[in-house]
Amino acid sequence: MNTHPYLRAYMAGIAVPTMLLLVVLTGFLMARYTFQIPVPIERAIVFPMAIVPNLFGVWNIFYLWLRPRRHLPIGFHGAILPFVLAPSGFILATCSGFLSPTSSGLVWFHQIVVPYVFLAGGFCFALIAYYLVWKYLVGFFNEVLGIA
Amino acid sequence: MTEQEEKQVADLLKESMPPVNRELECDLWPRMLQRLDEGSDRRHWIAVMFSPSALSAVPWFDWALLAVLVLGVCVFPRSIPVWLYHF
Repeated sequence: MNTHPYLRAYMAGIAVPTMLLLVVLTGFLMARYTFQIPVPIERAIVFPMAIVPNLFGVWNIFYLWLRPRRHLPIGFHGAILPFVLAPSGFILATCSGFLSPTSSGLVWFHQIVVPYVFLAGGFCFALIAYYLVWKYLVGFFNEVLGIA
Repeated sequence: MTEQEEKQVADLLKESMPPVNRELECDLWPRMLQRLDEGSDRRHWIAVMFSPSALSAVPWFDWALLAVLVLGVCVFPRSIPVWLYHF
């Protein structure tokens, strides 16, 4: 009997960012309408809505495929994902027109200036966040779906 | 061994073995379901995820990493939209 482990891995992978999408959308709406940050929701939502969940799913399939060959703990496997997501997010945001690199730093949504010196720190924060999310949330869903 | 002795052995063997019941005594499926139910965790998945046993299994350095993340967001609240974009 084919138990479709890769399909289950995909489903376990997309579960977390799909649930977080509600938080993301709420945050964008609050940023735009409460704090008056000009977030172009219709363009900005494409990355967290379409690309991030699918990449999580594919990354989890890759984890399952990789496990018998070269086992890496799931937390560390997830912590590698920002190395893929950050450049793709950067490119998409630049093409969509709400991220512009300037001499003082990256300007997000025409308002939030992130100096270049903070970028490395921010990236480390992303690694930590992805490590924890993958270790505890994606790992939990893998366990629930019987592929842990 | 004579024919009579063979018959005696065969009779003894038949007596020593209980007759095989070819029909099941009852429907086994309810018992199977009951056994499956006993083995499964009926709690909601959120309750399982945030159960005291699950939380106590988290090592201290992961709590420290989570604290660093929360602290970072509190110190730089304007970075929240950037975080949201990357999740």
